[in-house]
Amino acid sequence: MAEVRNELETLLSFAPGKKIFLEHELKPFLEGLGLNVPKGIFIKGKKKLVIRSISLRFPMVVKAISRDVRSKTEAGAIVTCIGNLEQLNSAVHRLTDVKGTEGVLVEEMLQGGIEAAIGGIIDPQFGPVAMFGLGGFFIELAKDVAFAPAPVDEAGALKLAYSIKAADALRGIRGKPPVSEAALSKAIVTASQIIATGLFTEITLNPVSLFHDRAVVLDAKAVRG
Amino acid sequence: MKVLDNLFAPRSVCLVGASHSEDKLGGVVLKNLLGKRDLKIYPVNPVYDSLMGVPALREISALPGADLAIIIRPAPEVSGILKELKGKTRFAIIVSAGFSEAGHDDLQQEVKKTAASAGIQILGPNCMGIYNTGSGLDTFILPSDRVPRPKRGNIGFTTQSGAVLSLIFEYFHASGTGISAAAHYGNAAGLDECDFYSYFAGDKNTKAVISYLESIRDGRRFLESAGKLAAEGKPLLVLKAGKGHAGQSAAFSHTGRLAGSYGVFSSVLRQFGITEAMDLEELADGARGLSVSKANPLKAAGRKILVLTNGGGAGVLAADEFARRGIELPPLPAESERLLREKLPDFYGFGNPFDLTAQVRDEDYGIVLDELHPHYDGFLIIALSAVRGVTEGLAGILAAFSLHTVKPVVLHIGTDPVAGTIAAGAEAAGIPVFSTPERAAKVLGVLLG
Repeated sequence: MAEVRNELETLLSFAPGKKIFLEHELKPFLEGLGLNVPKGIFIKGKKKLVIRSISLRFPMVVKAISRDVRSKTEAGAIVTCIGNLEQLNSAVHRLTDVKGTEGVLVEEMLQGGIEAAIGGIIDPQFGPVAMFGLGGFFIELAKDVAFAPAPVDEAGALKLAYSIKAADALRGIRGKPPVSEAALSKAIVTASQIIATGLFTEITLNPVSLFHDRAVVLDAKAVRG
Repeated sequence: MKVLDNLFAPRSVCLVGASHSEDKLGGVVLKNLLGKRDLKIYPVNPVYDSLMGVPALREISALPGADLAIIIRPAPEVSGILKELKGKTRFAIIVSAGFSEAGHDDLQQEVKKTAASAGIQILGPNCMGIYNTGSGLDTFILPSDRVPRPKRGNIGFTTQSGAVLSLIFEYFHASGTGISAAAHYGNAAGLDECDFYSYFAGDKNTKAVISYLESIRDGRRFLESAGKLAAEGKPLLVLKAGKGHAGQSAAFSHTGRLAGSYGVFSSVLRQFGITEAMDLEELADGARGLSVSKANPLKAAGRKILVLTNGGGAGVLAADEFARRGIELPPLPAESERLLREKLPDFYGFGNPFDLTAQVRDEDYGIVLDELHPHYDGFLIIALSAVRGVTEGLAGILAAFSLHTVKPVVLHIGTDPVAGTIAAGAEAAGIPVFSTPERAAKVLGVLLG
């Protein structure tokens, strides 16, 4: 808890006055707290440069970073399954034109995980609460999410995760192995500790890709208190 | 002595605003207080020397002291009355309306401040107070010929709403459900549900608590108080009004958009072992189930349910209700099915629901239950006594099964005379009985947490 607070205060001190924090700002911070993020490179600004070589592995994903965009998919601010340099350059050029873009984030693409949404908010009745839900369809349509007073410990994190209706997805379905409980609880505990500091009013890691041996934060957003 | 004993079981009460007439609230309350033996009553009335045969005080200054004061005077007078009661009592039930609920938040804040400085804990305002079957205390403004009181029993009941109080009382009276005590706290300027959970946790007459809530002031304190009940092995069943609020729809991030205060509340309840009723009927039926059943939702091992019926349609309706709640009915284990096929007619439906058909015999219920008991966590039994094969003898078979299990058993049965006899036997053996398959299914859900 103390470590989370220290790291968060450091992050905030480098960005005085900034209200909304996006993934390129949060990922190094989350990595510092022991969470996994994809390997990536942030290309700042709107320069239409031509990439001739890159130290990341294909397939890749390119995302426009903009504080005006609420959903990258809806705003066309994300290109996935990039298989070569030609596709990469075309995606980078296109995304620099997205409204409010501050730059583009190029990342190695991960496939095959179970997508979860993990976060925290300040609730008017319970104060800081942690959130867990499955990503994609489940969270948008079925509203299958659960909350618990933050911070939670490892046991509380797993209780939270397994209290959703579709909890069977975590136990392994359709030939997928069960997700790593250690990695899952680590991500929930960390998010719950972040919201419990009261320094952010909201934080969402969505999606977090859950595998049998790790959990990787693919996108993140937060609002300063 | 426990903290709230003076409120729930006072030896002396001062009634400010007492009246000699049952047409007035101060008269109804006086009449209801007279029902408690060994209670010293000090009615306060500026005109009469005695009210309903009880010597009255002209003013509060003449009061030697009382465990509890009840105030039924217009809202603007209440703060002054509390000042006069300073040093004479530690608890006051403020029945008077006309505070925050009527837009006079200033009056309520003033009363709160005065009570705090006078060292008086308040219940209300705009409330009816306490009904305690253990001590015989009844502070309600409802005449007992209009709202019949439930009998003595094991359910603790807290409510923010007086309307819900009277509806639950009518239901409890009609169904013979007993309560330990009920507390109505209205505007909740002082004591609220959290204080009553703590009280009921330590009350030996209370086995389970039901609670009707409109708002929660402090979620963390709510969970802490509910935790005291759980620590004593006493289940809590909650009905929360105001489920539809959209919440923080303008929030930027996903988490904020999804939260909404009801969503958070409901989700947190589930993780803390507090059961939620979805409507008033489920709250009342659930209370009845908790009161009668030997099973404790806090100790439920799982949610695997067997439906055992002699009528296909009723079984399917029960199964549908479970499906709506996301509870599945697992099929019979293969070995059990093989053994049961050896013992029972082959035209029975060997599934879940298990269908004994119209050609059922009483003893078949026992055969199926004994064989399947180890494989399920709860049992919904449907016995439609329109057929000859179901007789009064079924009561003994169900009672014998109930005697040997701590798992919840709920019965749905009709209302003919044979059914009445079976129902009475079942209830005496710890099996709650309901008149529709869906209500029985909901209660089994409550009993499984």
